[in-house]
Amino acid sequence: MSQTEADQQAGGEKTGKEIFKRKGFQLFGLGRQDVIRYFFGGNASLAIVILILICIFLAREAIMFFPDHHAGLKSYRKGGQELVGYVIEEVDAHTKFYSNANIAYFAEVNRTSEKEDGLLRAYRSGLAGVEQVTNKTWDRLDRKIDAAEDLVDDIEDLVADDEGELNEKTKLERKLVGLEKWVESLRSDLKGQVLSAVELDPIWVGVGIPRLSVQERSMLREAVLFEAYPDAEDEHESIQELKRVSREKKATAAEGLVEFKATVKAMQDAVRPLKSLQSEMIAIASENRREIDKFSTAPARRAALMAGAEKTGDPEEKARLLVRADEVEIVEPDYVKLNEPLYALVPKHQELVATLEVEMGRLFQELPDSVETESAKVSLGRAEVFYRRFQDKLNLARAEMLVWHHDDSLSIVGSTSAFVLGRNWITNSSWHDFYGLLPLFTGSFLISIIALVVAVPFSIAAAIYVNQLAGPRQQQFIKPAIEFIGAIPSVVLGFFGILVFGEALRAVSQISWLEWVPGFPMAERLTILNAGLLLAFMAVPTIFTLTEDALDNVPKAFTENSIAMGATQLQTVFRVIVPTAVSGVIAAILLGFGRIIGETMVVLLVAGNKIKIPDFTEGLGVVAQPAHTMTGIIAQELGEVDNGSLHWRALFMVGMVLFIISLLVNFAAQRTLKRFQKV
Amino acid sequence: MPNEAKNPPPEQGENPFAAKAHSLKRRDKTVSILLGVATYFILVCTAYIFLDIALKGIPVVFQTEAPFVNVEFFTKSPETLMTFETEEGDFFKMNFSDYSQFKRDNPEVNIVDEHSHAYSGGGIFGPLVGTALLTAICIVVALAVGLTTAIFLNEYATKGRFMDTVRLAIMNLAGVPSIVFGLFGLGLFCMVAPVITDTPMDRALFTVPIIFTDNYLSFEGWGTCMLAGGFTLAVMILPVVITACEESLKAIPMGFREASLALGATKWQTIKKSVLPYAFPGMLTASILGITRVAGETAPIMFTAALAHKDELPWESAGSIGGFFSQSVQAMPYHIYTVAARIPQSEYTKPMQYGSVFVFMVVVMSFAALSIFLRIRYRKKLKW
Repeated sequence: MSQTEADQQAGGEKTGKEIFKRKGFQLFGLGRQDVIRYFFGGNASLAIVILILICIFLAREAIMFFPDHHAGLKSYRKGGQELVGYVIEEVDAHTKFYSNANIAYFAEVNRTSEKEDGLLRAYRSGLAGVEQVTNKTWDRLDRKIDAAEDLVDDIEDLVADDEGELNEKTKLERKLVGLEKWVESLRSDLKGQVLSAVELDPIWVGVGIPRLSVQERSMLREAVLFEAYPDAEDEHESIQELKRVSREKKATAAEGLVEFKATVKAMQDAVRPLKSLQSEMIAIASENRREIDKFSTAPARRAALMAGAEKTGDPEEKARLLVRADEVEIVEPDYVKLNEPLYALVPKHQELVATLEVEMGRLFQELPDSVETESAKVSLGRAEVFYRRFQDKLNLARAEMLVWHHDDSLSIVGSTSAFVLGRNWITNSSWHDFYGLLPLFTGSFLISIIALVVAVPFSIAAAIYVNQLAGPRQQQFIKPAIEFIGAIPSVVLGFFGILVFGEALRAVSQISWLEWVPGFPMAERLTILNAGLLLAFMAVPTIFTLTEDALDNVPKAFTENSIAMGATQLQTVFRVIVPTAVSGVIAAILLGFGRIIGETMVVLLVAGNKIKIPDFTEGLGVVAQPAHTMTGIIAQELGEVDNGSLHWRALFMVGMVLFIISLLVNFAAQRTLKRFQKV
Repeated sequence: MPNEAKNPPPEQGENPFAAKAHSLKRRDKTVSILLGVATYFILVCTAYIFLDIALKGIPVVFQTEAPFVNVEFFTKSPETLMTFETEEGDFFKMNFSDYSQFKRDNPEVNIVDEHSHAYSGGGIFGPLVGTALLTAICIVVALAVGLTTAIFLNEYATKGRFMDTVRLAIMNLAGVPSIVFGLFGLGLFCMVAPVITDTPMDRALFTVPIIFTDNYLSFEGWGTCMLAGGFTLAVMILPVVITACEESLKAIPMGFREASLALGATKWQTIKKSVLPYAFPGMLTASILGITRVAGETAPIMFTAALAHKDELPWESAGSIGGFFSQSVQAMPYHIYTVAARIPQSEYTKPMQYGSVFVFMVVVMSFAALSIFLRIRYRKKLKW
């Protein structure tokens, strides 16, 4: 490029010696200095253009999402699916209410046999643990035994067929002896494995398994040994006894809860008519949707056939394709006719819902007021919450269904809010694809909040310690070490989270004296909490470095004055230095937040990837649930969707949302820095 | 820790003139100990992660006999690992290629209990090469554009509102999530970037015929390839590189430039002779830091360049220079993602997982350590 030419020219510096010589290097009438200047300027503009292109390309795909999404929602309405959607929501609300009542009932039934059930669970876990260790040897042993049996058969056959084949027989018998030796040694291997496996502690712990006493453990150990080796037909007496006792206790408990059971059963029965109405309506609406889809894809199909006809060289084929193209009907379906059967069902629905409401109200009153176990109490409490929601949903849906019309207009605001506030992200569905941001946003947000809550105190404490309290030697060692964390690739941390940290966290959550922690004991390995803690670790270097810089920038005079006034060192730190540097600290937290919310690999690997709004009725225990995130969904789904499809554009739109969030966070951080600097 | 270093205050009664053991002091001491504990807790967590990966990874990478390094792990590409038993109860574990050979050589052996473990056999040569190539492309592009942009912004551009806005925009872009850059790279480099071809594809945005040849300049994108991945990564670190290079240019005192200009040097001579040499260490640090960041990124290359499995190394399947750059590659971070989350886990997948993670971490960490070391060194050396 021009730079190299400029460099070559730079070798011959003769200016001034020969006055009449043409002046130096010229390109399009520009001097060398100008060329260099424009070269750099050009590169700078290139960089800026690229950065502008980012915005354009993101926006191009993302904005095109809205019209497509709007059209999709419109056909959802025109085909009557929206109307059916109300019924589906009603049934779902009922299911949530009912299942909580059901859980409460079973908690009550099981309350007296808790101990036995716990022991049985421990037994099953122990047995599974032992089997996991031994099943390979078992397979091998089985194969050997089978082979030996085959050999025995072969030998018998030989004897029966021909007595002359003695040679063959001895050979087989020798083989049989060898096999039997194998079997023997495998059996002793197996015994050793079983005996050592049964002593392993981890097989005796798990969700719902109580802490075992020495006595109980030896009893279970014996039972497992009995069952695991040699393979017994029946279970050990103690286990049979446990099962019997558990059954009896449950039966006795159930006797006292006959009414409860009847109520729960009645709840389940009450919704049956509504459910059958729902499936009837779904069938109609699905048929409608097929009609609409046929109409909306018809022009494209026709165009494709025409294009095929254009390209083909064979006239016969061409004629055939053209005929087929003509056959493609582009007739808009009669929406009124399509929706007639649905409208006809609305009065029936109103009737059903009215009876259902009365019935459920009665059944709700019949639920026992006081239950004995803690978990049943919790479930009943949640059942009440869900009952209220169910009532609200019924009233809302009933009213909405009466005024619903398939031809109602759908505003852009409506379709936009269906994206921003949509509670469902359902793709590749046979019913309708929903693109609602809320489950992803909640996941991202919850994880970020946990990460910040954990990371901020640690990183600020570390920054204060390093900047104010630690000696120079400690400083020299701690600062690079923490900065080093920032260089750990995120995929490595995610890997660590899956293989090590998830297991460790679950094991910790099952320690019995930690049960008071919300969400403990955790059943899952990959949860919001796991992801949040790992991200907290990732955010530490960002927050630490920026906070440390901010503390470092506080003028020395402030510290000296404060000390001179008689303040102690910590008073100086917390009352003078930190307040002065607060803008920097806030900016650091904001930038840390930006880093966390944009992190992809850790959440993709560790957050559990369940697309659902976490269940907040569990209070803080919500952190033990899996979730999906905005970054994770892009990474997971983008590779599998067609270019330019609605799903693809929805993912770009999610990317756009991330982009905007990160710009806002950065902007806010810079504003904070500036504003406080002026003060 | 001055507070901790002090001797405990004497007991009351021992010395009536001694200062009272003030509760303030005690509180001070507790708080500073707490702060210290928090700091060292972070370090302990870091050490734990490193040790865990190192302890499980070292046995895979090194061995006790000569040549002490698991050569196969570094010279082969990932392939399927087969585990099986023979009728006699002998257990075998081998790569798929060896397995086929074994079956051909021993047709009489009855194989039972056969399992395959995807990506768990072979080594990590392919992903290492891929990551090196991606990083190299990225650094070349990012430094070429970033360095010149920084020089322009700091040396040539007139100070003013517009330039401040540009700078602010660049700084803001540094915080954009990497996955968003991945989306952008997919949208621009994979699907719209121009190529010269004689048969433009239908999906091209538009085509421009090149005069005097049969070729077209077709805006159809490069597809999923090394070049697209490298450029995406370059765009991702561009803001960081620009900012870092500008910082190091800014750190050079104005006097250097003024002195040079006063001696009659042209602007370019000034920059070449008395600015760039002194800014060089800072720029070097920035670029090494860039390498660290780029090599560890997974999200931007997931849909622009990376491939989970590839039999051939890049130079084995390339027809031409263009072909070399327009093929997709395996990459370390993507490989780790694959073996960590996308294959069924078993005890036989562990060595591959820990081995890859360990090697990858050592490589990335050594670059990070180098940049930290260089920064500290030059900070001490260059003082004016």
